Amino acid sequence: MRTKQTALGAALAALAVLCAMFATSASAAPAWKFEGKALEGSEVVMGGAFESALTIPGLTTKCENFLYKLSIKNESGTGKGELTEMPLYNCTTNSSACLVNTIGAEALPYPSHLATFGTANYVIIEKVKVGIRYKGEECALGGILVSVTGSAGGEVNNTTEIATFNSTTLSASKTELKALSQKIEWSGVFPTEAFQWHREQALSVS
Amino acid sequence: MHKQRRRALATACLAVALAALGLAGQAQAKLTGNYTRFAQCPYTNLAVIKCIYSVTNSGEVVLGNKKVPIEKQVVLQGGFGEEVEEVSPFFAATNGITLSKAPQNVPGGLAGIVPEASSPPLVKALIKFFFENSLTGLTSTLELAKPATEIRINENALAGEFGTALKMPVKVHLENPFLGKNCFIGSSSSPIIWNLTTGATSPPAPNTSISGAVGFFEFLEEGRILEMKNNKLVDNAWSAPSATGCGGILAFLVNPIVNAQLGSTTAGHNTAILNNTISVASSAALRKNNAENP
Repeated sequence: MRTKQTALGAALAALAVLCAMFATSASAAPAWKFEGKALEGSEVVMGGAFESALTIPGLTTKCENFLYKLSIKNESGTGKGELTEMPLYNCTTNSSACLVNTIGAEALPYPSHLATFGTANYVIIEKVKVGIRYKGEECALGGILVSVTGSAGGEVNNTTEIATFNSTTLSASKTELKALSQKIEWSGVFPTEAFQWHREQALSVS
Repeated sequence: MHKQRRRALATACLAVALAALGLAGQAQAKLTGNYTRFAQCPYTNLAVIKCIYSVTNSGEVVLGNKKVPIEKQVVLQGGFGEEVEEVSPFFAATNGITLSKAPQNVPGGLAGIVPEASSPPLVKALIKFFFENSLTGLTSTLELAKPATEIRINENALAGEFGTALKMPVKVHLENPFLGKNCFIGSSSSPIIWNLTTGATSPPAPNTSISGAVGFFEFLEEGRILEMKNNKLVDNAWSAPSATGCGGILAFLVNPIVNAQLGSTTAGHNTAILNNTISVASSAALRKNNAENP
């Protein structure tokens, strides 16, 4: 009888330890850090995509200049932010029939936050809305407004200071972008660099 | 003199023959591959910007008490022009078949006896045999009530799941030996107007809101053709007029019977659900494909 009680006690203790561990990992939301120290106040991170592509099955759109301006801060130990600018220039498609007539971010700013999934840290951009109009006499999509909406999660690499967005990171961060009412693929590789108070300081997320 | 006339006549004949050959060559020019489905689009008309080929594979039309499943394919084809305030005018198919006529079986036939879903298979088979045969069976065919030019398309509404994507004036042709050949619900002067949407409807009661869907987009021929699979167009806010012309000279007796069978067909009692694959092509791409394949 005593053996049974001891076993039950041990099991409960183990459960309590496990619960405490999970509680710790769930509460440890990542924060923005410069030179290993948590950001105090706010900072502006800017950059341009090394590469980016948006694909609706059969039609891929690439932008040579995909810039962004992200205002960041930590709130209660968690990294937050707002994407305030996202100009897109020199955009082309893989189609000989369709050209990009207009493309632009709508309804800015987009709120953002940091999150951990598995062992990786992600920057999540929410409420994304980008409008694209294609043109071309032979383009079947000509005249139709393609609205890209949803949220996108990019994995932040602290070593390279690069945020990578692709189908794997969007899936891992439980985010998705939609256009024409269907899930679309978007990939982008963005450098993260402070341009206000922490110029040339190493930016990390942890 | 005589010889000269003959020579002139021969030359003229030759010219006519050559011209005819040339025209024949032009007429034989064909669309190829993915473009062939648009063969009946008036794409040579420069006012036509895009062509549409929509196949309704399933769905249902509920008219009052009668629910008719769409079991036979219905094709809507033609072209549409430059949009005016987001709505594009429609151009009829070149073969005159803008909306194909596919008689759909009305469950329960003329008597309207439909077995319960839980009925034994034998009961279902017997009811089908007695009430859906060539004599008592009833078919319902959707037809355009007005010229194809009265159809309207809003591409942005179609792609964006809001508002009216396709406006069609239609009538329903009921066919059965007893009803004669002119039994219709809806006419050119009093058409049923379908305001089909890929978004959500706002019908009057007793109907409640239902939703369509744009489906899955795919681009073919490097963006020259747009294909929407699993597209769903719906409208359940339309009204239908009373039946007319049923029973030939006995219409004054038969029309009320048909109307009684249908029950109320005012707005809120009817539904159209069309499950489609919609293809849209640029007419310039079709002209190019045609020119490349003389």
